[in-house]
Amino acid sequence: MNEDALRALRRTRQRHRLGNIEWFDAAYRAYLVGLFGGGSVLWISSSVHDEALGAAAIADIARNGPSIIGLVTALALLAGLRGGAQGGPIALETADVVHVMLSPVDRRRALLRPALQRVRGAMFLGATVGAIAGQLAGRRLPGSLSAWAGGGALFGVATAMLWAGAALLAHTLGCPRWIATSSGIGVVVWQTVAIFQSGRTGGIAGPADSFGSLAMWGWRQRPIDLVAVAVALVAVTAGLLTLGRISLEALARRSALVAQLRFAVTMQDLRTVILLRRQLNQEQARRRPWRKSGATSGRGVTRAVWSRGWHGLLRFPATRLVRIGALAALFGVLQATVVRGTTPAVLASALVAFVIGLEVMEPLSQEVDQPDRTDSFPIDRGELLARHLLAPTIALIPFAAVAAVAAVLVLGSADAIVPAAIFALPNLVAGSAGGVVSIVRDAPDPIKTERQQSFVPPEMAGLGATLRLLLPVIVSTFGTSTVFFLRAAADAGESLIAAAVRGALGSALLALLVGYWVKVRDRVRRRIRAFMDEGRAQALGTTRLAR
Amino acid sequence: MKSSQGTEEFGGQRPALRTLQLAKDYGDRPAVLPLDLEVPFGQHVALVGHNGSGKTTLLRMVAGLLDPSGGSAYISGHRSGSASARASLSWLSDTPTFYDDLSLREHLHYVARLHSQSESSAPAEARAEELLVRLQLENRGDDIPTSFSRGLRQKAAIAIALVRPFQLLLVDEPFVGLDEAGKQSLLELLDEAAGAGATLVVATHELAFVDRVHRLLALRDGELVYDGAPGATDVHRLVRPG
Repeated sequence: MNEDALRALRRTRQRHRLGNIEWFDAAYRAYLVGLFGGGSVLWISSSVHDEALGAAAIADIARNGPSIIGLVTALALLAGLRGGAQGGPIALETADVVHVMLSPVDRRRALLRPALQRVRGAMFLGATVGAIAGQLAGRRLPGSLSAWAGGGALFGVATAMLWAGAALLAHTLGCPRWIATSSGIGVVVWQTVAIFQSGRTGGIAGPADSFGSLAMWGWRQRPIDLVAVAVALVAVTAGLLTLGRISLEALARRSALVAQLRFAVTMQDLRTVILLRRQLNQEQARRRPWRKSGATSGRGVTRAVWSRGWHGLLRFPATRLVRIGALAALFGVLQATVVRGTTPAVLASALVAFVIGLEVMEPLSQEVDQPDRTDSFPIDRGELLARHLLAPTIALIPFAAVAAVAAVLVLGSADAIVPAAIFALPNLVAGSAGGVVSIVRDAPDPIKTERQQSFVPPEMAGLGATLRLLLPVIVSTFGTSTVFFLRAAADAGESLIAAAVRGALGSALLALLVGYWVKVRDRVRRRIRAFMDEGRAQALGTTRLAR
Repeated sequence: MKSSQGTEEFGGQRPALRTLQLAKDYGDRPAVLPLDLEVPFGQHVALVGHNGSGKTTLLRMVAGLLDPSGGSAYISGHRSGSASARASLSWLSDTPTFYDDLSLREHLHYVARLHSQSESSAPAEARAEELLVRLQLENRGDDIPTSFSRGLRQKAAIAIALVRPFQLLLVDEPFVGLDEAGKQSLLELLDEAAGAGATLVVATHELAFVDRVHRLLALRDGELVYDGAPGATDVHRLVRPG
């Protein structure tokens, strides 16, 4: 009876949802996704050169490929274990948690459908990404494109199943977060060591080599690789069988946050996405700061804002500090990769710096999130927000040091130490300026009116929205692209130190410009608005006179 | 703190609610200290305490919505969270939760069916209509409750909690947002449930409500500081933060 009621409930809700769908809009969205998604895949595919690789390169790929691709599986396992320990991978509606999970229906049965939907969704995504990557690889390696796409899809499906199974098991077995994280990191480290050992006599094999080898089935098939599929199947089956042990507390917390997260993603609100991700990870400010901030006394707005900034920054939890440190190291690696000749890495480094900006500029975010309080202060909002940039900028110093060390290690030359020391901080600050733009831009606009919005023609609205989304990343890209000074100097055999100084000055200039924009943004907008109103009033007066 | 208050009065049968060293902490902050408690069938209990004293945490642990850090809870002898325990327990939260694509009537219909043991839905439907009338919601039955005002949402949540059979009713701050008529209807419905033999545990800041119960429990900073008859203590002193 209870299960019948649950089925009836789901049928009714599905009927309601289908009834609410605007089919024309849905078809248009599907058309746009198909157009842009397909176009992107074709563009990426055409940008990959079709010349086949040489015998040495192919032998190298045959030797190292499984371990390197297996690292993706190891990372997926880490993500699954951590996600499961934090209440994933299922997210029900909050109402389902209260009404269905607290009713005497069989919880395993009730959760089976959402769990299968989650597994299916992950498998579909894995298969799609795997197939796309496979056909790209197939353009330069022996084997047909379709076979490579098939192998890639198989790898993607197996990895997705392992991710889902690990997440379900970590959740249902009540795996503590530290165990999930440390065991996941252990697998990633093991796999990384295997990459450097692959092909050597007596070298260790990676735990995910069989998964990586599946991706190469477009070229050569090894039946032993099917062990990976079996492992993934066992993991996901075990996870589904233990569904009844799922924690309602974790499920309820995750369900509420995931609903907000989806909404934030829909609204392209990256700052809220990061904020909710932190909540999902139960990341809270420390009750006791790492160090008592001494600068609590004294008068003046700058001093007050400076103190407030450090009060927040010194309460960052260890996990966030480690994450920012890891991002800074990645930033350094990517910048060094640009110096070594990989131009697209500058985009990746800009994205990383942008995220670091969103993380470190927390005091500014908090101020922007409390507009009523901010507007009640007897100080211009721009002046206040600009002062909020000081403490986080200083807080970036240790992370810039991490980035510099990582870059020097990748470049592998002592000559890089001094340029990295000069360049790292201004470059990281300028890169994180995109985060500042994203935060400040989201502050409530006291000047904007409905009338003003109506002047924007629909054709421009889409472009405006796209620019709005991309602008912070563009700022970060400009900020980090000063690394090309160093690359040009390295290529030309010129002084790296002089290039680092030039690059640092360029980055610092951009950071200052962003700081100035934060300070005068409201004032400038007010003047533009007044100027436009004045012009409109004059035009109206002229028209009346002419009549 | 071991409690034996009221158990003799209500006979020696299996308690409606029993907790054994039930505790909850959030990292380094204890929310409920280890608690031993027995609530016999048919008893009407008020749970009071200052904000943050642990009332909601305790009720949510008993309902199975929070994982205890230690100890366990039993409902009618069944471990909290088990299907048998869920069949016996109805939970009325202080934060009403609804589907955003079902009308109030559909909510009542499905929640009743999810808990029903009989094939016929007629009694549940009759009960649903009765609750709608008693809570002055008869004209809002076909509306989506997520669009209701705070008070109407609370009334809708009360109807959903009472439409299904239960032996133990856990209620958290039921009077918040209710108008006088709503409060009166709720008190009548709670009295009826108690009269039908159900056990009630009501967490509240409405100290006037305390006079209606058999037993008063008071929490302060997660610790049970009073367990006894409501008339034998100064309730106002109990709800002051320590």
